[in-house]
Amino acid sequence: MIGLAGFFGLRALYPNDERLINQRLFALRDDVNSGATETFSSVARAAQIGTFFTEDVVVDLGQGTAPIVGRETLMGMAARLEPRTTAFRLELDDVGARLAPDGRTADVSLTVSFVLRTVSTGGESVDAREFSLGMTKDGVWRIARVTAVDTLK
Amino acid sequence: MSLTARVIFGPNPRRTAVRVLVLAGMSLITFNWVLLPIRTQGISMVPTYQSGKFTFVNRLAFAYGRPNRGDIVAIRLAGLHVVYVKRIIGLPGERVEIIEGQVHVNGKPMLERYVAADRRPWNYAEVTLTPTEYFVIGDNRSMRVSDHDFGRVERSRLVGRLLF
Repeated sequence: MIGLAGFFGLRALYPNDERLINQRLFALRDDVNSGATETFSSVARAAQIGTFFTEDVVVDLGQGTAPIVGRETLMGMAARLEPRTTAFRLELDDVGARLAPDGRTADVSLTVSFVLRTVSTGGESVDAREFSLGMTKDGVWRIARVTAVDTLK
Repeated sequence: MSLTARVIFGPNPRRTAVRVLVLAGMSLITFNWVLLPIRTQGISMVPTYQSGKFTFVNRLAFAYGRPNRGDIVAIRLAGLHVVYVKRIIGLPGERVEIIEGQVHVNGKPMLERYVAADRRPWNYAEVTLTPTEYFVIGDNRSMRVSDHDFGRVERSRLVGRLLF
């Protein structure tokens, strides 16, 4: 029992990089979702969300759309999107991180569910997508690349 | 032994413990490797599956047999917590095309009794499936085509067949 407690205690105190990446992504999810309920200026919220990305981040959503390049562009889009997100929730599932041998970069696969609530009916619709992320570590883990995976081609 | 303990553990506690362990082990095996419980969300499989329906995916369905046309299958995304549920309409090597809402396989119109009558005139250019690809689509064709996820999927992404 003492051994087990020690093991879990050490894991909590000194999380490995995979756990740090998980925590970082779920913190991003919480920040995105918090905008829907809290009184937080959209610009400040976008700036906060921007800290999760590298300056030269590339977001490729596929399906014929042009990639979004750079943190500033992404923050601008997040700020403009904010008023539309009042009935919007983001969920992350099946987060799997594979660390590169250098320990400074990682590939992450995950499923992102966009849950939209219809205000009039109270019903929810879910759009789930698989994404591949490239992350780099500069003190903290940041997202450098977001690529939508075409599950159905 | 008190009456309460006797009711909970039975006349032979050791045998009860063994039964509980066996049951727990069987449940663990069943729900980790054989049956995947899922709850459908969304309307892409209406009228066959309404949103919120609870069912199971038989993960051994394709272990020894190949997926067939008409099978309703679960398709993995990054993992198994969120899966797509679609129907197979095209098999490896076949040509699939949708013209004005009518699915054509190898140039012939396909009879789909499970699709409701109010289908929209979807169009999808002909594709030839590779030896490892299947063509999947939802039963609800009354949606806008842009709101409906369908297309080619790799065999390796098929988790199993829905039980009911």
